[in-house]
Amino acid sequence: MSTKNKENTLFHCNDLEVGYSTHRGALLPKINLQINPGELWALVGPNGSGKTTFLKTLLGLLPELSGEHGWKENVHIGYVPQRTRVDLSVPARVIDLVEQGVERSWSFLKPGYRRQKQDAIRNALKDTHTTELKNQRFSTLSEGQKQRVLMARALANSPDILVLDEPTSAMDMQAEHDVFELIEELRHGRNLAVLLVSHHLPVVAEFATHVVLFDRECDAVLSGPIEEIADHHTCRARYGRILREGMERRQQHLCALDEDTMDHLCHDHDDHHHSHHHH
Amino acid sequence: MPEDQNEPSAEELEELMKALEEDADEQEQDTQPQPTEKQEDSDTHKEEPSEHDAHEHVVTSAYMEEPEMNIGTFFDSWSLFGDAALSGALAGGLLGALGIYIILKRMVFLSAALSQSASFGIVLMFFLQMSLGLHSLHPMIGAGVMTFVALLILSSKHIEQPGVRDSALGLVYVAGAAGTLILGTRIVQELHDVQTILFGSAVAVVPEDFHLLVVVTLVLGAIHVVGWRGFTAIVLDAEDSSVRGLPVKQLELLLMITLAAAVALSTAILGALPTFAFSILPGMIALKLVANVQRALVLAALIGASTGFLGYVLAFIYELPVGASQAMVGVAWVLIGLVIALLKRRTA
Repeated sequence: MSTKNKENTLFHCNDLEVGYSTHRGALLPKINLQINPGELWALVGPNGSGKTTFLKTLLGLLPELSGEHGWKENVHIGYVPQRTRVDLSVPARVIDLVEQGVERSWSFLKPGYRRQKQDAIRNALKDTHTTELKNQRFSTLSEGQKQRVLMARALANSPDILVLDEPTSAMDMQAEHDVFELIEELRHGRNLAVLLVSHHLPVVAEFATHVVLFDRECDAVLSGPIEEIADHHTCRARYGRILREGMERRQQHLCALDEDTMDHLCHDHDDHHHSHHHH
Repeated sequence: MPEDQNEPSAEELEELMKALEEDADEQEQDTQPQPTEKQEDSDTHKEEPSEHDAHEHVVTSAYMEEPEMNIGTFFDSWSLFGDAALSGALAGGLLGALGIYIILKRMVFLSAALSQSASFGIVLMFFLQMSLGLHSLHPMIGAGVMTFVALLILSSKHIEQPGVRDSALGLVYVAGAAGTLILGTRIVQELHDVQTILFGSAVAVVPEDFHLLVVVTLVLGAIHVVGWRGFTAIVLDAEDSSVRGLPVKQLELLLMITLAAAVALSTAILGALPTFAFSILPGMIALKLVANVQRALVLAALIGASTGFLGYVLAFIYELPVGASQAMVGVAWVLIGLVIALLKRRTA
């Protein structure tokens, strides 16, 4: 694995082939991509298309079959596994899980290490709106709350990139939208890169800046900015419309946000003006 | 003690003692299986009683001389039984805490399989001592080697899948238990020792074993006090720990080695039954009663220690088999804990 890369690039892979063993061969065609700070990359495809295998290879949990990939030196990765991976029979309060997130390398041997990281823990709870839940048992939370707690655990490590495996699985549409809104908030607030796995293309299209589209039927993996993928000839007929609709919704959302911001600024200005008059 | 006016004479006493000894001999012949020709032959080659035998003789005599057993007599006889009771407490405390990891890793059968392997190792050493005259082979060596071999099999990469691992645990358990019983029948004169290994009926613990248990408990306890955050992290989510750069493989290996060492030593000193009970029951109930794993580790250690100690005291007072008594105290803790957990849930 090479770590040589552009200065800001957090992750890159060139002609990366993934799979479970060399004799069974690669699961997917060769993949190339570069992830930079502030980008939201979505790995999209149906169940069994190889998204999780690709993600685990990027994270070093599975060896690559060929090609090369590398993370920026000293990069901090905040990993949010699927919620079903957390054993609910294990007694754990929200604060216990989030505190666990600060551990890195051999830090568990240092007494008082978690106390030194109290600010990071507090900020992680605050940014994910879970401060109120900190003394509750994880097993008693709703799916949306659980997802926010797992994100808080990942954020406690002060990551450069947040990696989420199916963050909205088994959620209703509103909860799913809320999770993506929170991801957006974190991405902008902390200048985080985000890499997430999802099979819900319409919502992904609304939020992602970049996409890796896994299509085993066409035996293709397309990666790049979402606008380019939406217009790609392999993808245009099957997914182009969904992607474009998602991008339009994002545009409308941004415009609405801009209007709100303008209104807010005008109100602030008026209030300020009135208060001056009053004085 | 007040003097008795009708005190028997020295001659009368001597006669009484002789009669008692004859009675005891007859009873022993009735309960012991008749030795075969081969066994008689090996009995003639039997060496002088070991320190272990001598210590147990003293303890057994003490049991016989004191017909009314109570908590007072137990503490009066502390010099004889203290080491054994404390051994129960030490092994119970250590295995109680380590049991949390066994339960969280869904490897409840691991300690059963390892303790049966250790039992087989011990019986194997007895067998080699008897048949080949290799008296330098200490049973503890057998326990250690067989536990390590079992651990190598169980931590093999080929059985990482949960289903395959469960089957392998079953295989190791059955092989260990069957081997122990088969070899046990070949060394009838050591039947008592085999029962001690399997059911933990040891009344006494020899000082060397006790000292070894103290040292091992301190070392393993220190490792776990220092590294509990790492052990907990890898047990709860190995993938996330790996992404954060924790040394998952090293921690896994260290955890398995400490588990194996604790199980092997406890089996060799106290027996397989109490060892299995210590490593499952305290952890099981501690995880139900507290809010996080850190507290569960402490509570399980306390429950385990009290199980080992109380089990021994009850065995002393009511003349019960020690291992079974310790296991039953563990079961009682589980029942009490379940009631508390139920009440807590209702009041919450």
